[in-house]
Order: sequence, then structure tokens, then C-alpha cells
Amino acid sequence: MIGYILRRLTQLVPVVLAGSLCIFLMVHAVPGGPVAAMVGENATPERIAALSREFGLDQPIFSQYLQWLGRAIQGDLGISLHSREPVMALIAQRLPATIQLAILATLIGIAIGVPMAIVSALRPASWLDRVLSGFSALALGVPTFWLGVLLILLLAVKFRVFPAASAYHPFWQSPWLALQHTLLPAATLGIYVSGIFARFLRASVITELQSDYVRTARSKGLAERAVILRHVIRNALLPFVTIVGLMLAGFIGGAVVTESVFTYPGLGRLVIQAISSRDYPLIQGCILVVLVSYTLINLIIDVLYALIDPRIELG
Amino acid sequence: MSAVREAGELARRVLRHKGAQLAAGYLAAVSLAAIFVAQLGFDPLRQDIIRALEGPSREYLFGTDELGRDILARVIFGARTSLVTAAGAVSLAALIGVPMGLMAGFLGGWRDAVLMRIVDFMLALPGILFAMALIAVLGRSQMAALVAVGLTGIPAFARVTRAQVLSQRQRDFVTAVEGFGASAAYIMFRTILPNSWSPILVQVVVLSSIAILLEAALAFLGVGIPPPTPSWGEMLRTGKEYLHDSPTYAILPGLALTLTILSFDTIGRTLSRCIGDRNDTGTIAALAGTPGARP
Repeated sequence: MIGYILRRLTQLVPVVLAGSLCIFLMVHAVPGGPVAAMVGENATPERIAALSREFGLDQPIFSQYLQWLGRAIQGDLGISLHSREPVMALIAQRLPATIQLAILATLIGIAIGVPMAIVSALRPASWLDRVLSGFSALALGVPTFWLGVLLILLLAVKFRVFPAASAYHPFWQSPWLALQHTLLPAATLGIYVSGIFARFLRASVITELQSDYVRTARSKGLAERAVILRHVIRNALLPFVTIVGLMLAGFIGGAVVTESVFTYPGLGRLVIQAISSRDYPLIQGCILVVLVSYTLINLIIDVLYALIDPRIELG
Repeated sequence: MSAVREAGELARRVLRHKGAQLAAGYLAAVSLAAIFVAQLGFDPLRQDIIRALEGPSREYLFGTDELGRDILARVIFGARTSLVTAAGAVSLAALIGVPMGLMAGFLGGWRDAVLMRIVDFMLALPGILFAMALIAVLGRSQMAALVAVGLTGIPAFARVTRAQVLSQRQRDFVTAVEGFGASAAYIMFRTILPNSWSPILVQVVVLSSIAILLEAALAFLGVGIPPPTPSWGEMLRTGKEYLHDSPTYAILPGLALTLTILSFDTIGRTLSRCIGDRNDTGTIAALAGTPGARP
């Protein structure tokens, strides 16, 4: 097991390296460069040259990359051009908010999606199945930014139950305030993923119901309830773990739009700020953190998967 | 059976389903309106500033925006922006992704490994982040939005095509053509590709809905197609600013957007069922393969 994890971690290195190089080159291709964005239009050439030297932007691009990489490995992602604070500190401020949002959204998605999938898979093509499939299509089709606006319109503007702009309150410090501020964005994302969860799990339960072990279990006289709960659901949930993990990983940095609808102070909004102010070190830092967390979450899921399903060999 | 007749037969089978009929009808209506918007007497740019932010009235069915422009006209015009960008983006994704998948699956070895690692990297980065970073480089324009959305669609095409190649590779007709001494390019593009078009078609439809959503999301974040070109995402963005003054502002653009996405999704799912993919795995794979493309 340890060997497998180590092997997977070393496989991660080239993906993250290639990714960070791509981002580095892409960000540095911006016309005008970061200094031009920093000093404005009326800067003297001397001031531009001085600032370029200060941030090391006058050196060849590849040596800039190597220096950045060397520092990044030691946990130093540079200084934000805009706020002049360490990039690592800015990300560390925002990451907990995004993680709290991602977890709550995934939980809401599971709470809606799993019962829906099981009910419709047990009665395929019934009216209930059709209604639930319609709901999951709707959940997938409604853009989060429209659903978010509708929720704000209804629950924050008309009935003032929730704040229209969300702030971050850590759940372990003030659970009630945290829920009040995180629930609307989390529900927006949660409703969307519930559609994916329901579709995927429904297909997976239907496949399992057709397998031989279900016939065996039924023919030995096992109660239908036990067949479903003890055999079918357990097996159907296995591949489902992967989808849940993928979505959770996608929310780290991928919830840009939802965070922006609710002005939720997560990593996604930090990226928007970074891109709009052309804050190179911040863009690179954020995207690196997103890449690394996505690949790490995937690794954790693969390991979990192997732990709960002994048939899978870690090759 | 020729490919054209086969496609016609598939279209008839898809249109036998009620949901697909509704979806196709809606998309046809929206496309027609988008093409003939000027002939219908709508002007999305005419300002009537005294009547800004009005609710629905006889003259302006869905009210006016902050500059007194007709919201209905702008929504119809927005359909043009949305559909044209999506069509361009999906074509771009297919033109790069399909050959990538063909080569990865057919050539195998280190070339397969390299191409698939590129795909893995593209999947690891949320599509919206990638698109935003690219637009920061290219500057805001319709072309930039098209290219950014298109590039995020490449992995889905590459994966589906590669899977098709791997399943066709060992079939007798491929071995036969190989035995005649056909070149690799001939086998990939003339033998395998014509026999793999239906799963690729499903991806085209599914990715159209994702492309429309992504374009709107970029506009919502303020990095999409620059104004004054009407776009649904941009309208939602401004509509959100005026939630208190004009609650109906954000309703119509969001509704048009949602119905368009739902229509493509419905046709995509019916299509994937008609070609025998009973568990809808194509659609789910496409959705799961683009985490963050949507939120």
C-alpha cells in the first residue's frame, strides 16, 4: 500500500511540473506584462525597468521559471504584485472557505441525489422515475449563476432569510453563522451535483440489479430489502465514490462562478481578482494549488477505493 | 448503408421520443429567431433611457434594461451570440480532439502516453479557470471566448475517440485493410473514423450544451464577449446588479439559457440511448470529465 502511494506520488510530479510550466508560459505571454499593468500608462521607462528588476522580470523566462519552481517547492509562492502580501498567505486565507463550501455542497448533493437514484432505479420507467429523471436533468441544466440569482431573489431579497452576500465563518467556531452564510452557495452547487450523482448511481444500481449474485440472493429466499441494502447498494456505491471525489476535487477552484454570485470569499474569487489585476505570482500560485489539490484528492480516492473494494489490486 | 442515410435514420429514431421533439422544436425556434431577429423588427441596441429598468409592458414584453433597451430583443440576439460561439468552440474541440484520440489509440506506446498525459492535465484544471487565464492572455473578444471554450472541450473528444479506436482496432475489417498495406493515416481517417462517428456525435451535442454554459459563465464573470454585443451571461451579470429595482430583469435571459442547455442535453441523452449506450454512460462521462466546467 505504502509503495503504491509513493509510486502514484512520483507519477504526479510530471503532471504538476508540465502543468505549472504551461501556466507559467501562458501567464507570461500577456501583452504588456505585469509591470505595465502595475504602474499604469504614465510610468517612465526608468520606473518600469526598476520594477522589472525588483521582481526579476528582466531575466530570461526559463530561469524565471526555475527560480519560481525552486521557491515553490519550499512553500514560497512569491509576493502578490497587487497587495504585496505573500501569495501563500493569501491562498491560506481563502482555502478553508472553499473547502467548507465544497464539503457542504457535496453533502447536500449526496443527500438529494442518492435517495433519488435508488428510488428511481428500483422502479425504472415508472412515473416517479420519470419525475426524478426530469429533476436531475433540470438540476444539471440550470446554470449555477442563474439558480444562485433566483435563490438570492427569493430567499434574500423577498424573504430576508439569508444574507445576499455571503461571508466566511468557520464552522467549528460559529456553526449557525457558518450555515447561514454557506448554505445558499452550497445548495446551489449541491443541487447541481445531485443531478450528476442521481444519474450515475441510478445507472449503476440498475446494472447491479441485473447481475447474477442478485438472482442467487433472491433465489435463496433473501428478503428484497436485504438484497437491495446488503448487496446491490453496497456494490453500486463503489464506482460512485469516484464520481463524488471528482466533483469534490472540481469544487476546489472550480466553484468560481458560484463563489462570485454570492460574493463568497473563496479561492475562486481570489483567482478572478488575480486574473483581472494581472497579478502573475498570484495567478500562478492559485492554479498550482488547484492542480496539486485536484491530483491529490484523486490519489486519495483511488486509495480509498482500493481499501473498500478488496478486489482491486494496486498495480 | 451510406453515412448520410444512416444519420437520417438515426435522426428519425431520436425524434420519435417526445422529449427530443420538444427540445428540437425549441432549438429550431431559437435558431430561426436568432437568424431573423432584425427582420422581426427587434432592435437590441436602441435605447429608450427614460423607460430604463421598466417591468413587463405591452410594448416591452419582458421589460427594459438599465439603458432602456428591449430585454426580449436582447435575449433573442443573445441566442445568436451563444449558438455561434458554441458551434465554433465545439468544431475547434472536435478538430483537435478527434485526431488526438485517433493517434493516441492507433499509434499507442509513448505517443499514446504523452497525448493522454496532456489530456489528464487539461482535465485536472477546471475548464473555467483555464478559459479565464487564456482570455487574460488573448484579451476580451468573441474569438478569445470561442477559442477558450473550444480548448476545454478537447479532452472529451480525445477520450471518446481513443476508446473507439481501441475497440475497433482488433475488428476484422481493420485487420483486412491493414493487410492490404494501407497507411496509418488511411486506416485512422478512412477506416476507423467513419465507423466511430456516432459516439463522437453524442459528444458534439453534449459539448454544445457545456460550451453554451461556459460561454455564459465567462460573460457572467465579466470576461466573455465584450459589450454592447448582447449575451445571456452578460445580461444575467447586469440583471444581478438590479435585483432590487427590477426583479424581472434576470428572469428571461436565465430561462432562455437554461432551456437551450436542457434541449441539447435531452437530445444528447436520447441520441446516446438510440445508438445503444443503454446506461447513458457517454453523457455521464462527458459531465464527470469536465468538473468545474459547469459550476
